[in-house]
Amino acid sequence: MATLSEKPFGPTLSRRQFVKAGGALVVGFSVVGPGILKGAPKPAAMKNSLDPTLPNSWIELHPDNTILIRTGKSDFGQSSTFTSYRQIVAEELSVPFEAITTVIQGHTDQTPDGSGAFDFLGGGMPNIRKAAAYTYQALLDLASERLGVEKHKLSVKDGIVSGGGKSISYGDLVNNQQLKLTIPVKGELTGIMGLTIEGDPPMKPVSQYTVIGKSFKNSVTASKVAAKETWATDVRLPGMLHARVVHPKTLGSTLVSAGQVDKTKFPNSQVIVKGNLVGVVALTEWEAIQAAEQVAGATKWTDWKGLPASAKLYQYLREEADWKSTPVANGSLNKGDVGTALTGAHKKLSATYQVSYMKHGPIGPTMAVADVKADGTVHIYTHNQNPQELRGEIALMLGVAPDHVVVHAYPGPGHYGRSNGGNAGAEDEAVLLSQALGKPVRVQWMRADDMQWSTQGSGGFSDVQIGLDEKGKIAAYQVDHYMPAMQDDRPIGAVLAGLPTMAAPNPQGDFISSTVNGIQDPWVYASIPNVTERGHGTFQLGQKASPIAVGLRDHSMRTPGQYQQHFPRELAISEAAALAGADALQFRLDHAREERAIGVLKAVREASGWETRPAPRRDAAFTGSTPVRGRGVALMLRNRSYWACACHIAVTPDSGKIVVEKYTIAVDPGIVINPMQLKRQVEGGAVMGISHALFEEVIFDESGITQDDWNSYPIPSMSDIPEIKVVLINNPQVGTYGGGSEAANALAAPAIAAALYDATGKILRKVPLKPAYVKALLNA
Amino acid sequence: MLTLNVNGARHQVDAPDDTPLLYVLRNHLQLSGPQFGCGLAQCGACAVLVDGKEVRSCVFPAASVANQEIVTLEGLPARWARQKGLSAEAAKNTLHPVQQAWIEEQTPQCGFCQNGMMIKATELLESNPNPTLAQIKNAFTNSGPSPNLCRCGTYLAIIEAVQHAATIMAKGR
Repeated sequence: MATLSEKPFGPTLSRRQFVKAGGALVVGFSVVGPGILKGAPKPAAMKNSLDPTLPNSWIELHPDNTILIRTGKSDFGQSSTFTSYRQIVAEELSVPFEAITTVIQGHTDQTPDGSGAFDFLGGGMPNIRKAAAYTYQALLDLASERLGVEKHKLSVKDGIVSGGGKSISYGDLVNNQQLKLTIPVKGELTGIMGLTIEGDPPMKPVSQYTVIGKSFKNSVTASKVAAKETWATDVRLPGMLHARVVHPKTLGSTLVSAGQVDKTKFPNSQVIVKGNLVGVVALTEWEAIQAAEQVAGATKWTDWKGLPASAKLYQYLREEADWKSTPVANGSLNKGDVGTALTGAHKKLSATYQVSYMKHGPIGPTMAVADVKADGTVHIYTHNQNPQELRGEIALMLGVAPDHVVVHAYPGPGHYGRSNGGNAGAEDEAVLLSQALGKPVRVQWMRADDMQWSTQGSGGFSDVQIGLDEKGKIAAYQVDHYMPAMQDDRPIGAVLAGLPTMAAPNPQGDFISSTVNGIQDPWVYASIPNVTERGHGTFQLGQKASPIAVGLRDHSMRTPGQYQQHFPRELAISEAAALAGADALQFRLDHAREERAIGVLKAVREASGWETRPAPRRDAAFTGSTPVRGRGVALMLRNRSYWACACHIAVTPDSGKIVVEKYTIAVDPGIVINPMQLKRQVEGGAVMGISHALFEEVIFDESGITQDDWNSYPIPSMSDIPEIKVVLINNPQVGTYGGGSEAANALAAPAIAAALYDATGKILRKVPLKPAYVKALLNA
Repeated sequence: MLTLNVNGARHQVDAPDDTPLLYVLRNHLQLSGPQFGCGLAQCGACAVLVDGKEVRSCVFPAASVANQEIVTLEGLPARWARQKGLSAEAAKNTLHPVQQAWIEEQTPQCGFCQNGMMIKATELLESNPNPTLAQIKNAFTNSGPSPNLCRCGTYLAIIEAVQHAATIMAKGR
């Protein structure tokens, strides 16, 4: 094996032989392993059929100049794998966007890296970018040898390498060859972060970009819109049975006795019981639904009352929750002497802010098809934000090696973080039922299951103290955030069946299962001299009291942890501005130093028609049936993107109803990869943010969640959306890409709460700002 | 045995009369446009047109629409072709203007609800070719058994796509 070149950045390129075979050859198929060669016997499941140390596992160049890319990250609607990833690869390889004809994503047997559907732009350096950069260097080496021209004299345009008066296409370079370029990777395939490509291959200078920055369409949109896409919900296997799960009566109930199927009505149904997991399986979906309802009525559970009801949530968290077992997290930017500065402050704000629990609320409930074969291999067909982690969880549950499990990924409803830890609910239940029956089983949760048995985004509260100096500037900022653990990755079916899972959240847990409440909201007010941020964590509600160790399970939801910390901070900053008699937006400008933070604030000031003045407005009113108007602002840094948002609202004091009339948001993500897709992502986030701010609160009693549909857990309809203005700030000198989807959902809550104060002169330091709560505040 | 007229073809289906239309469409006829969202007629993901009116197939017993014309997302191109008198050849390569607009405006995020949104848009534009913003909002909020819900928050993109579809349809006249 002759090594062609050694790169300072690590990879080695070698050629084994020139080969010929039937049909077109692609780079490196032979080094992938015999298993995926056409015609070769294919093992039922393999650890991974692709070798992540080989760039052709990520990117395949074909002799016809088409390119295929593979990523473990599955698209959940933001289009990044179909647009941004293509643009990034096209840019690094200097090929047209259209050359990348195929994107393979998510399937655990066809993608190299794993990890989840979050932070697709991975610190500005997603795996696929490095894979492309490594491949580009290798192609230059090949071309240099083939053309007899020194590498530094070569240039590439549209996939044609030219230099010294000669040229050759990528397709011709790779035709009839087997090449091996090895690149460094690290990480754990089935861990939440998956594998990461290491090293620092040279990247194309941003100044030479021609593909990034253009509004390419999402290729999967056309097939979804034309009803030609295969969704997870469409998967039907031969001999497949339909199932529904009868979930326990409460979040702490154990099974007393499972009901029997009424065979006179449901002759083709049966009950499967495994521990506290009760499944009803039938030949047809309609029979499964009806039989499950009948069985549910005949199934007996123990009672349990181990939750603090949501009406007493704050009291419980403040007075009873165990905040002592979990180490306190300190902000990395804490500085100065907050205690002294607060004592000597000219004016002081001291307040407590509350955030409710929220549902992820996918528009389609979780579902999965599982096929546990006689030889013990397991195939799961589902939509999941982290198929590789799901694979590891299923293997752990069954006590088999991950080699035995394949997860096949399909499009489905947005999950907003719910399955980024590998499961959403139906997957493991389907596996257990399929295992019991020896047939493929499709588990579909009903809406009530999805409301009551899925995870939620954690609620919490924060104590803020701000001290102003005599000039009206913030001298000290102190916050203590309190939030139960926000990530429980245990599959619920495994928990109910009493099978092995990862640990429930605990103080000694690792990155994922820890109860530590880290500081998630990056500090943006650099000119404040004294800052202390502390995070206090605890167990999930009812987790320790539940005999089945369930409780109110939490899972990271869009802008996880940061939403809960950002609402208190930004509303408190608006209150501090009022205390100083300053305009809330100018006050932020006066305390920020980072140019990009200042840039987004100025952009929303201009785009929203912001009137500079202190809040509350002079004619603020908190009585009457005439709407009063106000506006508020928020600033945020997340995933390397700066965001600012201004909300203009109208509130009717007599009813407490808030209507957002104008929502203006500016984002500076650094390089804007695809303006149209980014704009659509931001618009969606804006609407979800209004939903968080005005509508969403998980209501539970002492036994479980009492909401079971969209009437009891409302989200906005089209008539609830305001005029929305999105300002995209392309900032190429930043040199990298920031996140563009989540964050937009987090800014509305503090901006709307500040707008309520502006309109009425009264502060409601709790979200959601439901009419009943607003009315109670204004009448107090 | 049920006889259903779906997307211009008659189908014999072996399913109990009370089976909700959605399960017949998805499981017996392998149509993937309508989706299961709530099973309660509260979201619209499962919507189909029955004699031109938006219906929530998740709660409608299949037998109750046995004699009516059912059109799913799959049937929208043919519906448009018929309305426009396009040739069979041209119809094959044509999407309904609503579908074209949904692509051109890049309306979906996850896209799971968009079946119902496109069905609702088709119903609206067939009766009101040039709706105002208020009429669009009203149609998607108040005209069905529930508002058509989108969890990804694509309402603005839907409004822009409806307006765009109206323009395409007007040109097609």
